[in-house]
Amino acid sequence: MSDSTPGSDSTPTVDQAPRKSRSAHGLGSGPGLIIVVVYGVLALAATGRSILQIVEYFERAPLSYVLSALAAVIYIAATYALARGHRRLAWVTISIEMVGVLVVGLASYLLPDLFPSKTVWSHFGSGYGYVPLVLPAVGLWWLSRGSRAPHTS
Amino acid sequence: MIYALTVAICAASLVLMLLAGYFAFRDRLINDLVLGLAALVFLGTLAQVVIGLVRVSAIEDGTEVATFISYLLSLPLIPLATTFLAIKEKTRWAMGSVAVGAFAVLVMTARLQQIWDLNV
Repeated sequence: MSDSTPGSDSTPTVDQAPRKSRSAHGLGSGPGLIIVVVYGVLALAATGRSILQIVEYFERAPLSYVLSALAAVIYIAATYALARGHRRLAWVTISIEMVGVLVVGLASYLLPDLFPSKTVWSHFGSGYGYVPLVLPAVGLWWLSRGSRAPHTS
Repeated sequence: MIYALTVAICAASLVLMLLAGYFAFRDRLINDLVLGLAALVFLGTLAQVVIGLVRVSAIEDGTEVATFISYLLSLPLIPLATTFLAIKEKTRWAMGSVAVGAFAVLVMTARLQQIWDLNV
């Protein structure tokens, strides 16, 4: 899913030498590939769910569903940023995720009335096997590790 | 939902996960066996989509329908995407993502069945 980008028209060389372009940024290659896949799966599941929630029964729990939609958008952006090697976008989106899961996770315990319906981030992502909590931590670690390595692009 | 199909998909994705994980560990590239297993998982999830969508109205709790449908439609894409990745990019990490994808299929298929059992 990482290779179907509409914007690749402007850089025709990318298609001819995908391996070279991957190693140039290094974010989505090697172990990073697995992080991209996990992000992709989460983005897919969260987006579909969120769209249906908002279309079908938004009035039941507006805050939860808005947060779910926000989380979905951020997962898509993070997947894209990691796969295409946009380091700054990856930093921003994954940081928002980390803050989001911590704040919403805490709020869902302290102020349960605010969240009549679950979001990806409520209870620190317990509904998703705590993947939403672990993933941004792994992502930030991967980003910080990559920035120390010499890279020219 | 057909319980036997859920079990079959879970079993096939478990085998795929273990095999792809072993391949990643041993730095071996994708072969016909892995490809065949991934195809099996893909076809299973595809059948699940058809059955799930036909019977989705049986789920009574509206909020769970969203999770159900989104998981249902996401599932076939996972083995498809990771297998293409493994064919295109010949590294152990691509095999690792096949294993991770297979694990996701396992968990999400089990969750589908759980939603079904709780709400029908």
